[in-house]
Amino acid sequence: MIRFENVSMTYKGSVPALRDISVEIQRGEFVFLVGASGSGKTTFLRLLLREEFPDKGSIWVAGRDIGELTQSRVPYLRRNLGCVFQDFRLLPNKTVSENVAFALEVIGRPRSVIKVQVNQVLELVGLGQKGDRMPHELSGGEQQRVAIARAFVNHPLVLLADEPTGNLDPATSQGIMKLLDRISRTGTTIVMATHDVRIVDEWRRRVIELDQGHLVRDQARGVYGTDVPTSTRGVPAVSVGVRRSDMGDDAFEDDEHVTSRIASVRARRGSR
Amino acid sequence: MSVSLDYFAKETATNLWRNRMMALAAILTVAVSLSLVGAALLLRQAVNRQIGEWSNNVSLQVFMDTSATTQEVAAVRSQIEQTPQITHFTFLDHDQSYAQAKVILSGEPTAIEALTPQTTPEVFRCQLQNPSDAATVAAIFNGGTVNGVLKATYPGQSIRVMQQVTSVMQIILLIIAVVLLVSSLVLILNAIRMAIFARRREISVMKLVGATNWFIRVPFMLEGLIQGLLGALVAVVVVLLSNIGVNYLVVHYVKVLSSSVLPAHDLLMTELLVVLIGVVIGVAGSSVAIRRFLDV
Repeated sequence: MIRFENVSMTYKGSVPALRDISVEIQRGEFVFLVGASGSGKTTFLRLLLREEFPDKGSIWVAGRDIGELTQSRVPYLRRNLGCVFQDFRLLPNKTVSENVAFALEVIGRPRSVIKVQVNQVLELVGLGQKGDRMPHELSGGEQQRVAIARAFVNHPLVLLADEPTGNLDPATSQGIMKLLDRISRTGTTIVMATHDVRIVDEWRRRVIELDQGHLVRDQARGVYGTDVPTSTRGVPAVSVGVRRSDMGDDAFEDDEHVTSRIASVRARRGSR
Repeated sequence: MSVSLDYFAKETATNLWRNRMMALAAILTVAVSLSLVGAALLLRQAVNRQIGEWSNNVSLQVFMDTSATTQEVAAVRSQIEQTPQITHFTFLDHDQSYAQAKVILSGEPTAIEALTPQTTPEVFRCQLQNPSDAATVAAIFNGGTVNGVLKATYPGQSIRVMQQVTSVMQIILLIIAVVLLVSSLVLILNAIRMAIFARRREISVMKLVGATNWFIRVPFMLEGLIQGLLGALVAVVVVLLSNIGVNYLVVHYVKVLSSSVLPAHDLLMTELLVVLIGVVIGVAGSSVAIRRFLDV
């Protein structure tokens, strides 16, 4: 679903943000992206959205090299990538329903479809009764649910979350995590950048750790820190570096899945 | 597409309303500058028509002495008939000439009172094959060899002065108009920039969820277009009203300029040009603003 091949990226006049990153994420995986501030987590996500370009290497999403996309095709890439942020990024002058509907309006969905999908997704995130509220009338957790609803309403292949629980208390964060888990089980790939030790340790998903732009750890069912006793550590998924050759066949198969999934999504979306 | 049309209309209206003072300034500047453009264009056409009228009908006038005898008049007539450059002429006797003078001098009653049919010279109005021969032909009659001629005149000098005056006026009007057009372009650009700034959250969300670049741009293009168009429509009304006013004055008080009244077709074309310039200004202003300030 997502593949980084020897990706390096340096912001102008700055130290490298990512150095020679190669990693592959399968369809339906739930991945925690961890690391200190400035380790390159956000750059990782921005590269996926093609908000930035790698200096070296290539990035594949859903079987396509996104570096090859023309600028006019980038919006269509982004329709397959839902985004959630620490600061929610809701539009303050629109109601909850309007915020979610906006995501469909601006990609030209017909109104009848919008209404149905918005109601469905608000039910999914547990805000079925609050469609007419304004964002400032909601709690932080509820606002983040709206943001997730907006990111997911179009049923993207991948959901990218940049510290979605960064502004929330632990109990509310748990609620958000349960929601993301439910979305993950629909087959949506989730990449979540986070600082939240407790969540990572508790949920035990694949952990990719970045440190000053280097990929230092890639662990299935991992925990946040490396300074925990070995017995509680997860089994390493693959050793970094040999991964690609190991996964060659699987990757191909995955692309097949992806292609058929895209085809079915396209078919569902019908007229374009 | 119905959603999109709705959406564009709504967004454009909201943008305009949110920055209404800015939009008003842009619209008014467009209106003033385009009114000047329209006025300059109409002035030029009117002057050209009037000059064309004068120089076609009369390229040369031979005025007879009031004391000229019938024989002398007949001699001049045959002289005119023998002059190859003159294709056509009409003769106005004292009464006809006096009637003509009353029309031309209708604004100056004292001058008319001073005239009688007897003191108004008879005149041959001649048309030349080529108006540039006027000086040569006039010299034949002004040389003193033809008796009874008071003076042969041709409109060359006076028309040239008039052309110069009006062309200077046109240039001044057009310079002012261009300066104002540039400032209206900048005002529209600034209005769009503010609209973009006011909507930057929405724009970032739109980009995230995969709105196409054109989808994001269209409301701002429309906003510029509407500002240019509204300004142009105000200018159209101003130009129309001033044309009606000037025509009224010309027809009632300055009959001598009556052929400067433009036919409806010329006026329509000028108005269309004004609208077109307004639209171009609006689109150009918003395009520059979008390119410079909307990072999509």
